[in-house]
Amino acid sequence: MSIIDNVWISIQRRFGRQRIRKFALGSIPFIVLIGVWQANSTFGWLPPVFIPELGAVWEAAFTLQEDCPSTGAIFAMHNDCLLTNHIFSSISRVALAALIGLPLGIFFGILAGMNRTVSRFLEPIGVFANSISGIAWIPLAIVWFGVGWMTTLFIMLNTIFWLLFFNAMLGVRGVSKVYEQSVLTMGGNRWHLIFQVYLPGAMPSIIAGIRMSMGFGWRALIAAEMIGGTSGLGFMIFTSAQDFKIEEVFLGVILISLIWIATDRYLLAPLEKWTIHRWGMVWKPE
Amino acid sequence: MGGREGERAGPEPNMRTRDGRKVLTARDLLGVPVINLVLVIVCLIAVWSVISATIENPDRYLPSPLAVAISSIDMIEKGVLPSYFGDTLIRLVIGSIIGLAVGIPFGLLLGINRTVSDIFYPIMNFFQSVSGIAIFPIIVIWWGNSDQTVLAVIVYTSFFPIAFSVLSGVREVPMQYLNAVRTMGASRYRIIRDVLIPGALPHIATGARLSIGFAWRAVIAGEMLAGREGLGWMIFTGQDADLTAQVILGMIMIGVTWIVLDHYLLRPFEADTIERWGLIQR
Repeated sequence: MSIIDNVWISIQRRFGRQRIRKFALGSIPFIVLIGVWQANSTFGWLPPVFIPELGAVWEAAFTLQEDCPSTGAIFAMHNDCLLTNHIFSSISRVALAALIGLPLGIFFGILAGMNRTVSRFLEPIGVFANSISGIAWIPLAIVWFGVGWMTTLFIMLNTIFWLLFFNAMLGVRGVSKVYEQSVLTMGGNRWHLIFQVYLPGAMPSIIAGIRMSMGFGWRALIAAEMIGGTSGLGFMIFTSAQDFKIEEVFLGVILISLIWIATDRYLLAPLEKWTIHRWGMVWKPE
Repeated sequence: MGGREGERAGPEPNMRTRDGRKVLTARDLLGVPVINLVLVIVCLIAVWSVISATIENPDRYLPSPLAVAISSIDMIEKGVLPSYFGDTLIRLVIGSIIGLAVGIPFGLLLGINRTVSDIFYPIMNFFQSVSGIAIFPIIVIWWGNSDQTVLAVIVYTSFFPIAFSVLSGVREVPMQYLNAVRTMGASRYRIIRDVLIPGALPHIATGARLSIGFAWRAVIAGEMLAGREGLGWMIFTGQDADLTAQVILGMIMIGVTWIVLDHYLLRPFEADTIERWGLIQR
């Protein structure tokens, strides 16, 4: 038995045969896609105005960054660090919107879930607000706040708030009455109900709502930056497209997807899994 | 991306006549009691008028409900509103039909064959995260500001939700059914036709609703960015021309159209499909 066989067997043991097979099969389309892309620029089927060269996309990242004086300047958001500035401004908007929108959405959602009168008013408004997709608010937001930071922030906030509101409300409504009554029987007051029953009971639904609303919010934010922004990745791809710098557009699109995939996979999905594991009510009293 | 759980609101009362047919109440249609809804709308309009009356320069920032109504009458008289509305709806219908027609067979193929799904699942997952709005600038460079561009984005956005729904629908058909049919000597074609497709129908219906919802957003965004006539274009140019009443009118139409479409067409269709084909073992 040669060394290669030994290595191969130990790799199989380490990762599992099925997973290696899945990984190998799953990477085929990616390899084919990149191969076709490379072949396209080698043989020149489609002009580089339509499909940029693979290398050009990579170069574009450095071209955008070339005036950046130092690594420290990246974090100081120096004016010449174009690419990182766009990335940071998109991400900081997401963070800010999450910081404001998530607590608000959860608060009103729980309130509406607890109180019929509140939900009677907020629910129809929410149905309507959700059906006007976040994007349709952009023109009005531009009228109100002008082009820039506030508009994009408003679009993102508006998108995440209503989605989360609904999920929190449905989560609270789904909490079994038995828990509520048992806490009341034991002399618990309203605060006990909120923090010991409703919030934990609605947690899986709230976290699912956070994941979903961040997904929708991220899409809406990109659109908002394109139309009503002055910075951010959406703004970058839109202005680059107007200058026909397609390699920058490709770079931006790939970055937008990668940032979302990374956030979803390494932050939101584990959070959701953990919450369902920790707070999910597997046992349901009848 | 998960489903739009946010919209599954309100308890669904199940009133039936003696022969088992559903009685449609107003609650069934709207999800909330009608009087309640009227009250909320009246309150909202009242608040809106008060704000609009108190702020400076209301025509620019928040025109009164009356101004919006007048603008709608004006646009209907000129015939632009019906034409924009028609354009948008036609785009939605064509785009989502193509998206569904491509997505359903693809999802079935992926659900039926393990190897095919192992090959294509990761790349589909990747492209699903590339939102349709983000690839918009690329398609604009390819095809310019044309109807083709808008259509491409709609098809792209509506393809993924339906394909993934069909995939999970086929996967969730219980093995007993497959084995039972196989034992009786069914061919591969019979298995697909008589077991997998009917079994996946509830998921297909849910996925179709989800897809059309995504397509609706894409239509609005596409019209704004590519400048094709329609409701999205109407609100976008309204902002450019400083006609805020037109913007608000467009937003209300976008919202109401989707609610009507969802509550009267898609949701009943989904519910009926689940009722008829849902695999609830009795």
